[in-house]
Amino acid sequence: MRLKARNRPNAVIPTASMADIVFLLIIFFILTFNLEVDKARVTLPKSVLRFEVPKKAAVISITEVGQMRVSDGESASTVVGGPEDVLSFATGVIAGNPEKEFVLKADNGVAYRNVDRVIDMLKQARVPVVYLLSDQEAVEGGGG
Amino acid sequence: MKFSRRGVSDEIPTSSMADITFLLIIFFMVTSTFAATRGLDFALPKDDKDPPIVEKEDSVLISIRPGGTLEVDGRPMQLSGVHEYLKRHLENNPVKPVIIRPEPTAAYGDMVRVYDTLRQLRLVDRKLVMRDDVPSLSDEQWEAARNINVSIPTQREIDQFWY
Repeated sequence: MRLKARNRPNAVIPTASMADIVFLLIIFFILTFNLEVDKARVTLPKSVLRFEVPKKAAVISITEVGQMRVSDGESASTVVGGPEDVLSFATGVIAGNPEKEFVLKADNGVAYRNVDRVIDMLKQARVPVVYLLSDQEAVEGGGG
Repeated sequence: MKFSRRGVSDEIPTSSMADITFLLIIFFMVTSTFAATRGLDFALPKDDKDPPIVEKEDSVLISIRPGGTLEVDGRPMQLSGVHEYLKRHLENNPVKPVIIRPEPTAAYGDMVRVYDTLRQLRLVDRKLVMRDDVPSLSDEQWEAARNINVSIPTQREIDQFWY
């Protein structure tokens, strides 16, 4: 009499497809990679209209307590003392590239006085356009 | 006499590839960010030495008070009522400027909310409409429609040039 061979479960975890998954993840991260030049944590205001900010635009951030940071879009942001420093920074950037776009990353709750002075400095530095960074506002229930 | 044959392996060693790829993934996960890269564009005047003089009666003035309340030409108003108000004033005079004037202690987010609302309005056949009001219009026609003339003067400009 012939005994039937016992069906033993395979003890090996199949990992052949892992490389494919991992490479897909890498491709995803490479495509969406966007080095954060400014690490200031702010709660952005919400808006319905939002346009893509040009890559490597200079960034000016204002936190809720009014702390300002500037970055030329290439290197990490540095803390500046106040709006006068923003003027000298923006003048230097515009001297190198008169068409350079600026991004204003200001906290939703910061007093407008701080933003007003920064915008004034950017106007004096002849900055052509400023993007007011925002989060998406849901269209339903918007306004009010 | 014994000859030992040293066979050459015909497989590419890939065992370390998983380590390398996982390290790359961790690098990209840590350094990449999905932070907002979109916002409202705000064109600044080319030259602020000689700004156009705007008379009080030739413009619509939207003041933003602390707490987010609005006053339009001196009258308290909800943001939802601004569209109707502007319809009455801009459909006869499309070039009439709308001036946003937030108080120094008002929140920046309230200014963005008002500016965003005004930017959504366009003049189509002398009617002040939002995109949803004219679904028959193509995107090209909508883009070509005239925006309203919004300006946000800074405090220095107000001190220097305000009437």
